[in-house]
Amino acid sequence: MKQAFLLPAVFILLAFVIFPLLWSLGISFTDVQRGGSPGGGGFLGLGFNFTGRNYARLLTDQRLHIAMRNTVFFVFFGVALQYVLGLVLALLLDQPFKGRNLARVVFLLPMMTTPVAVGYLGRMFFDPARSPIADLFRRVPSWFGADPIFVPWLTEPAYARWTIVLIESWQWAPFMTLLLLAGLQAIPRELYEAARVDGAGSLQIFRSIIFPLLLPISVTTILIRGLEIFKIIDIIVVSTGGGPGSSTESLTMYVFRTALTFGNYGYAASIAFVLLVLVVLFTTGFLFLARLITPKVS
Amino acid sequence: MVRRTPLRTFMVYALVLFWSFIVLFPFFWLITTSFKTPLAVTRGPLYLPWVDFDPTMVHWEYLVDEQGSTILRHFRNSVIAAGGSTVLAVIFGAMAGYGLSRFKYHWKRVGWRNDGIAFWIISNRFLPPAVFVVPFLMIYTTFGMIDTHIGLILAYTMFNLPFAVWIMRDFFNGLPQDLEDSARVDGASRLQAFLRIVLPLSTPGLVAISIFSFIFSWNEFLYALMLTNFDAITLPVLIAGQNTNRGVEWWFISGLTLIAVLPVVVIGLMLERFITSGLMAGAVKG
Repeated sequence: MKQAFLLPAVFILLAFVIFPLLWSLGISFTDVQRGGSPGGGGFLGLGFNFTGRNYARLLTDQRLHIAMRNTVFFVFFGVALQYVLGLVLALLLDQPFKGRNLARVVFLLPMMTTPVAVGYLGRMFFDPARSPIADLFRRVPSWFGADPIFVPWLTEPAYARWTIVLIESWQWAPFMTLLLLAGLQAIPRELYEAARVDGAGSLQIFRSIIFPLLLPISVTTILIRGLEIFKIIDIIVVSTGGGPGSSTESLTMYVFRTALTFGNYGYAASIAFVLLVLVVLFTTGFLFLARLITPKVS
Repeated sequence: MVRRTPLRTFMVYALVLFWSFIVLFPFFWLITTSFKTPLAVTRGPLYLPWVDFDPTMVHWEYLVDEQGSTILRHFRNSVIAAGGSTVLAVIFGAMAGYGLSRFKYHWKRVGWRNDGIAFWIISNRFLPPAVFVVPFLMIYTTFGMIDTHIGLILAYTMFNLPFAVWIMRDFFNGLPQDLEDSARVDGASRLQAFLRIVLPLSTPGLVAISIFSFIFSWNEFLYALMLTNFDAITLPVLIAGQNTNRGVEWWFISGLTLIAVLPVVVIGLMLERFITSGLMAGAVKG
């Protein structure tokens, strides 16, 4: 009887997560292409030859290494920017002011917006000529008598990576804000009062009360956001298409292209496992660091 | 914080207004662009309707008259995929969450008890979807599930389920067991107690996981792109497709984007408090 409650969920997860995961691991050791395998075919492409070629190719594939570097870049700087922004906004929303509830809802808006739409917004706003941002960079310098600044937001690799981080952060900083704000509101107000009586300033209160008490929730939010950014694809597809060249391509995007555009299922599966290994390394490494800093984190 | 100085108040309002502007201006831009003529878009940033440019209805007329039936079809696909997977995730998520909260399990073969099972379930949520690209393509092709509604519904259910189980387990843990016990003393079966007593009390949790599942599935792109090619295409794929088909027609895309974004934004804003409480349950106690 009690197993019946778990059964449907466990069945779906076994059928749609565990089986595909193992299947994919097997495929990554084959040369299966779309439409079957050079060595076989038929049901689920069974009857293929096993080979270690895909994993050998991983070592020398320049495009893969670029995609790995990009993905780590997006995760690292995305999380950092979103955490700082999210914390500032959460501290702001923790202040008493009129219209606070309205502001909280407004701040959440980007989080609900379809990422594809956010990608288009990014493309519109970072257009080098016709966008409000380009306009800003033309006008503001001219007030000071300087030359207009031209920034190739999406067309120059070094800038495009940062632009992706900016777009992604616009959308997801609210997530950090939401959770950090809840963490802030759980801090007893008496702690602030006591610290004030003892003559502590705002900065000191932040450093010795707010920040340490926010650490556990900070660890959780950073971990969740980090894991989510590892999956990044939609914003990039629409804003830069992975370009210029493949300079902003993420691992997920490369897997997708290898499988759907090039039809090389075996290699795509092996790239996906590179991503999985990165995700596992990130999680264990981050949790290890977090435990060093906060003894209370479970 | 308690100390209120005029400077501090000023700073707070200034920052709130600044960030509200950063958040809202893109939406303002999206709306105005959908009323601009192509010339007004390509001539560079024009800001105020009736001042900088004359708004036109032609793109909306085109969207409704010419593209109306296509858009409606894809809109319907999005509703079916998101709605269907939400229903499944809520039903199975509530069941599993209840089980994990009220019974003691011990899966001897893997050595997991309740916490181990719950952790395994939530960990599925964090696997990168890229890992499933190849197997899903092959399995779906083999079983003829490419480009079907049921295919998308099942794929999204698998993504939504772990979070639903996790949140519901937490929610049920917060409900006192006594209520069910007294109902059972009065002769109700376990199932009756679950359906009549527990479920009505857990509406906030159910609403929260419904919103998460719906918004996630509505906005999802990778699987929709991979598993559909004509009949079952959802709105995000339709929008992303405008990229290559016709160059970038911002005036048209803006209108389309607004149509796609509006439902989830309205749902999200109306039910915002459930989102906060649900996320807290999922993140803090996890």
